[in-house]
Amino acid sequence: MNALYLAFAYLRYHWARSLVLTLVAALILLVPIATQILLSTSERALVARGDATPLLLGSRGSQLDLTMSALYFSDERPEPVAMREVEAIWDSGLAVPIPLHSAFSTAGHRIVGTTLDYFDFRDLTVSDGRGLSILGDAVIGAEVAQTLGKGVGDTLVSSPENLFDLDGVYPLEMPIVGVLAPTNSPDDGAVFVDIKTAWVIQGIGHGHEDVVTAAEVAAGSASVSNAAVVQYQRITDDNIDSFHFHGSQDDFPTTAVVVVPNDARASTILKGRYLDGENPSQLIAPAGVIQGLVDRIFRIKSLLDVVTTIIAVAALAAIGLAVFLSYRLRAREIATAVKLGARRGMVLRLLSAETITLLSLSAAIAAIGAAIVSQNAESWVGWLLALGA
Amino acid sequence: MPVLKHLLAVWLFLFATAGATAQEQPRVVAVNHPLQYFAERLLGDDADVVFPVPAGVDPSFWRPAIADISMIQSADLILLNGAGFATWVDRVSLPRSKLVNTTAAIEDQFIVTESITHSHGDGGEHSHEGLASYTWLDPALAIAQAEAVAVAITARDLASAEDVDARLAALRRDLEALDAETAGALAGVANIAIITTHPRYEYLARRYGLSVTALEWEAGATPDEAGLAALRAIIEDKGAQVLIWEAQPSAAAFDMTGALGLRNVVFPPLAHGVDGSSYIEAFADAVSALAGAGSE
Repeated sequence: MNALYLAFAYLRYHWARSLVLTLVAALILLVPIATQILLSTSERALVARGDATPLLLGSRGSQLDLTMSALYFSDERPEPVAMREVEAIWDSGLAVPIPLHSAFSTAGHRIVGTTLDYFDFRDLTVSDGRGLSILGDAVIGAEVAQTLGKGVGDTLVSSPENLFDLDGVYPLEMPIVGVLAPTNSPDDGAVFVDIKTAWVIQGIGHGHEDVVTAAEVAAGSASVSNAAVVQYQRITDDNIDSFHFHGSQDDFPTTAVVVVPNDARASTILKGRYLDGENPSQLIAPAGVIQGLVDRIFRIKSLLDVVTTIIAVAALAAIGLAVFLSYRLRAREIATAVKLGARRGMVLRLLSAETITLLSLSAAIAAIGAAIVSQNAESWVGWLLALGA
Repeated sequence: MPVLKHLLAVWLFLFATAGATAQEQPRVVAVNHPLQYFAERLLGDDADVVFPVPAGVDPSFWRPAIADISMIQSADLILLNGAGFATWVDRVSLPRSKLVNTTAAIEDQFIVTESITHSHGDGGEHSHEGLASYTWLDPALAIAQAEAVAVAITARDLASAEDVDARLAALRRDLEALDAETAGALAGVANIAIITTHPRYEYLARRYGLSVTALEWEAGATPDEAGLAALRAIIEDKGAQVLIWEAQPSAAAFDMTGALGLRNVVFPPLAHGVDGSSYIEAFADAVSALAGAGSE
């Protein structure tokens, strides 16, 4: 009791040095624990997103690019796949295909053109406003709303994907009709539109101020000129009826297709259909791709662990040196205590009490830090993953 | 004691009724009346069938309000006609998993109509192919559509497969009978040149070998001078004797066209239902009227 009282009084008197030692020790304890928590949370988040997406259909090429663009809406650009692939899966009756068109962005956020089935599949709910209803509508993720400070009633304008692709892509102003509830997933950072709206941005679908029939042209009662026909960059009540799509929908592009098979048998049959290396499309299980990525990350993590251990040992040695030097500096003080009648055991108890108090305070701070990290790990990891996209 | 028994019986009845009404019925939305009729015949009381287009509005060009879209999105099954009918479907967001195109299997039998040519941007002039949309005016195609509806109902488990099969067999019999009756009734009209006030009857004409030329008049509207001039030109060119109206016009309109030597017939294209008649009854009535006009 006396030793603890004297140790605490000593630490309080030398508060600056005690504070530095406590914080350094707390950091040495906290950093590996926090890293472990964040890594295991990100592993769970990454694997969970992959596990929640049974199959992914896309053009043959990098499986990682396809997975990252379809699951995390990243900047990777896999070759588009034609909508006839989606219809083929519908016709098979083996699975529900959900197309994802993520070629465009707005204000730094990916525009994801899809069907309403995606919202049911990912269990996304609207927290403000309504869901997609009309061509041109946009529903934004919670993070988009927060970052851009936009909400229902505001508008977003699509950015051309390629600065030089001036011929095909026309910016479209889209009204925000809903904001999604946060999910701590890449969906929070996306702007969702109907896939038909994405095709309008791509120039496949568009509106006209006027149309003329071939018969009118032949009869000379109407002429065809570029100036006579206006292309809209905003879909309004007045012009929506003039919007139409060119060609067969089977030829329209989509970036990737989430495929939700009816059961394990359907999944196996579907996978078998895309085994042929000559097939321009591939059907992959994103969970396997993500697991491969996670394994690679964790191989790097073991290297990080070694580095962290070396740094921790060095820091502990530095603390030990500091304590040793402080004891050397206090040699006269200790000698005075001995002369006053304190036994060696008493001096040793006093010094131990100081060290234990310091370490206890450090451990308490590290524990509080770890609890805070643990509590917010999901949202921080979600934010980090979305940032990486 | 008997009073107690009665009370118990009433309580049991109320409990059962409340349970039945609390269970929400599946909902099927159809984009036109024939599909609504097929779905009703095939589902019986197993689901509610809704045709959301208000009376007096052309279902081809209806523009649904947000509340309508919300109702349609929440349906268990959405029956589309295909063949370019109901273009509003392209401009609203609908769950693909609930959509069924009832003419997907008969696309090779579509009738291609006039193409629309225009240009925009740097894309140059191009054309859109038009399709005749009123497929159900050919009972053979209507049977194919009813079969597509039956498959969709069974796939979504909205009614038992046995019930749907039995109801489809009955519906197919009725449509085949309608087809046979129509073929017989219109056999005498095949040689007569017919004018229609709107291009709606391409499939009817092809099925029964009718010679039809179409005007572009509004449904039930009294023709103006330009319209009458176009009508006279066709009469002169084709020697037409019968004019098919898609909706009942004013008596004055009948008089105007009657004065040109035409026999007027109202043949509703049945995208909307006819009050008091089912699709098959209204179709048969219209065929009788046309056959009657042809034999006058």
